[in-house]
Amino acid sequence: MLAPKPMSRLLIVASRDQAVPIVSELYRENLFHIEDFVDQGQEGYEGFKIGTPLEGATEASTELVKVRAIENVFAIHGEDVDAKQKLSLPQIRSQIEKDLPGIEKEVEGLAGVRSKLDAKTKEYEQKIQELAPFVEIPVDLTLLRGFRFFSVFAGYVNRDVSITVPHEMQVVKGKERSFALVVVPEKNRAEVERQLQEAQFQAVTIPEETGTAQARTVYYTEQIVSVNKEIDAINEKLAKIKETHTDLLVACEEAFRAKIEQTEAPLRFATTSKVFVAEGWMPADRTQELSAALDKVTGGKVFVSELPVDPVNDPVPVEFNNPSFAKPTQMLMDIYSRPKYTEVDPTLMLAIVFPIFFGMILGDVGYGLLLLIMCLALRTVFKGDDGRQFITVLRNASISTIIFGLLFNEFLGFKFSQVVGWILGIGHVVNPIEHYESLIYSRHLLIGATEAGGHGPAIAELMIVSIWIGILHITLGRALGMINHARQDHGEHRMKCVLANFGWITVMWGIIIAIWSMFAMPLMPDLRGLPVVVSGLSLGLIVAIVFIVMGVIFIARDSPLEIVELPTIISHVLSYARLMAVGLSSVAIAMVVNYLSIGMFIGPGLENLSIVGIVMIIVGAVIFLLGHALNLALGILGGGLHSIRLHYVEFFTKFYKGGGRKYIPFGMKRRFTED
Amino acid sequence: MADVVMTLEMVQASQVGMKAIGAGLAVGLTGLGTGVAEMGIGSAAVGAVAENKDIFGLALLFTVIPETIVIFGLVVALLLLF
Repeated sequence: MLAPKPMSRLLIVASRDQAVPIVSELYRENLFHIEDFVDQGQEGYEGFKIGTPLEGATEASTELVKVRAIENVFAIHGEDVDAKQKLSLPQIRSQIEKDLPGIEKEVEGLAGVRSKLDAKTKEYEQKIQELAPFVEIPVDLTLLRGFRFFSVFAGYVNRDVSITVPHEMQVVKGKERSFALVVVPEKNRAEVERQLQEAQFQAVTIPEETGTAQARTVYYTEQIVSVNKEIDAINEKLAKIKETHTDLLVACEEAFRAKIEQTEAPLRFATTSKVFVAEGWMPADRTQELSAALDKVTGGKVFVSELPVDPVNDPVPVEFNNPSFAKPTQMLMDIYSRPKYTEVDPTLMLAIVFPIFFGMILGDVGYGLLLLIMCLALRTVFKGDDGRQFITVLRNASISTIIFGLLFNEFLGFKFSQVVGWILGIGHVVNPIEHYESLIYSRHLLIGATEAGGHGPAIAELMIVSIWIGILHITLGRALGMINHARQDHGEHRMKCVLANFGWITVMWGIIIAIWSMFAMPLMPDLRGLPVVVSGLSLGLIVAIVFIVMGVIFIARDSPLEIVELPTIISHVLSYARLMAVGLSSVAIAMVVNYLSIGMFIGPGLENLSIVGIVMIIVGAVIFLLGHALNLALGILGGGLHSIRLHYVEFFTKFYKGGGRKYIPFGMKRRFTED
Repeated sequence: MADVVMTLEMVQASQVGMKAIGAGLAVGLTGLGTGVAEMGIGSAAVGAVAENKDIFGLALLFTVIPETIVIFGLVVALLLLF
């Protein structure tokens, strides 16, 4: 918790003939993060070379390419497929030998025929396009070519043409330009060409067809229909193959991928002609287990040793170490950056505070329920790990939204207690929470007739609460900054950095105390009553000045340039006011939607149930649905983005650097196959 | 020209109106400011993310930094109105 998993550095040495069992065991355990060997003459690695792939690498990759080609034809993606049953390796092997070549052949054949048919349709469509200008001309197309004494011109003209030599012309008027067919004696050809040029003539080739254009177009259209029927039949066949063989295909892909990754592992090892050396990282608590397993598969012919680790300078890969409820939030951490090995891992804090912020902003039972239903529905749609994690984060946020909705007493912009009253009123049950206002400060605005009475929102109190949250959150961030610097830095620099972070805290609290000594505010201590000590300065102000001066000195000792950043103390704290402001704006939109739909359309419509009244009710219902859908979308976006932003910008910048290396163990989570 | 006599009610009403105008200006102008600021950052951020997906978090962070301005405007407006 609050720190990445402790890692050990492992060195595995064995003779090359043990490579196969060792690699497959490492792959099965899915624990060992291989440190790639780069042939650059490091100390202790003189004479070592990069290894060569194990046997079977080429065959496996050829097979994988084939399987992926088939999957492409069917548009199958492994991560979208639900694993029904795990196939064992021998099962797969026999199926690969027995079924796969047949499937490959069939699919390749069908796909080939389909692409040929596709080409045919394209060709026919092209022909129809060529014939299109001639459709209006009821002449056999053979009569338009092959003359010795006549020339035939066909093409588009932009305006009327006048030809001075003897000719025959047919013009089909179009919207923007007209199609002209001109027949002239061969001897006048040059002159006619010039005259046509003046009318901006664009020639069209006369199709090599027999019969009228109309008839040919009909013929080709029929052809396209019949070809499309054939394509449909092939698609049906392919769909059947897909249905029966999807499981096998994804299992094959997984099996081949595993095979390739294993056979190519030696490319990451340092080898000599006799031995190979694999260096890497793994969680410290499982090293015993792994070395015992390696001993077992090689019969003791392996040397495994733990190397010393320098946590600050070594590139230790980082694996999160969180309780299970905080695991989905790791996705939000990875979007920012993975923590360094020596850093405080704030995932747990994010997992707790993010839903609270989200709930504070959205805070509405109705929206929370809708969001929760949406998440539960989307769980079946998202199959990838990232998607699932995202949905889980959103689900937690929606539960928090419901809780805050109860506290705020809100339901789609109405009062939750009111809504309960309406529902219970149908069954004539007394509403037990009729007089419930809200447990915390109300956010109900005075909008429209749906909000009769009431005392309006407690803006000032809500804002002070938000700012209190900001003050505490930022103080926590700076305190974590002190811890991080104490862990990561050395010597004189270390003390300076820790004190600088402390300085930021004292400056912030100094400013706050100064404000308290001068102004009275709700929910904050009033220090105006403190005795005046010297030259008109009260005790509070003196403490504030001491705090601020001390803080500024600490900050300047670390880096004088940081003094420029002092105003961010105020802007960052005030930034937390968005917890109230964004939330209030979503309440306002919800109430306006309610007022528009119910107050202005549905209410009057119900009073006067004529046709106009019914239309008004329908319009009101549409406004209600669209308005709340829009507000929910805005609320998710606003609530999510602003809560995560408060973490990324205001909280993380105080202590968190990130940039840790991801821990990627050698191996695979098998979904479709098993050993 | 007759003298315009302002009753107390009129003064109060115009004060409320002025407050509303001030609140509107606070939100509207800060919104414009945020928009202008985010315009450049946003387009650069999208370009950068297209090049390298890993920096999405950082890009988002940069993009939303000016959002604080409009939040301040909203806070000022709410304090003016209530």
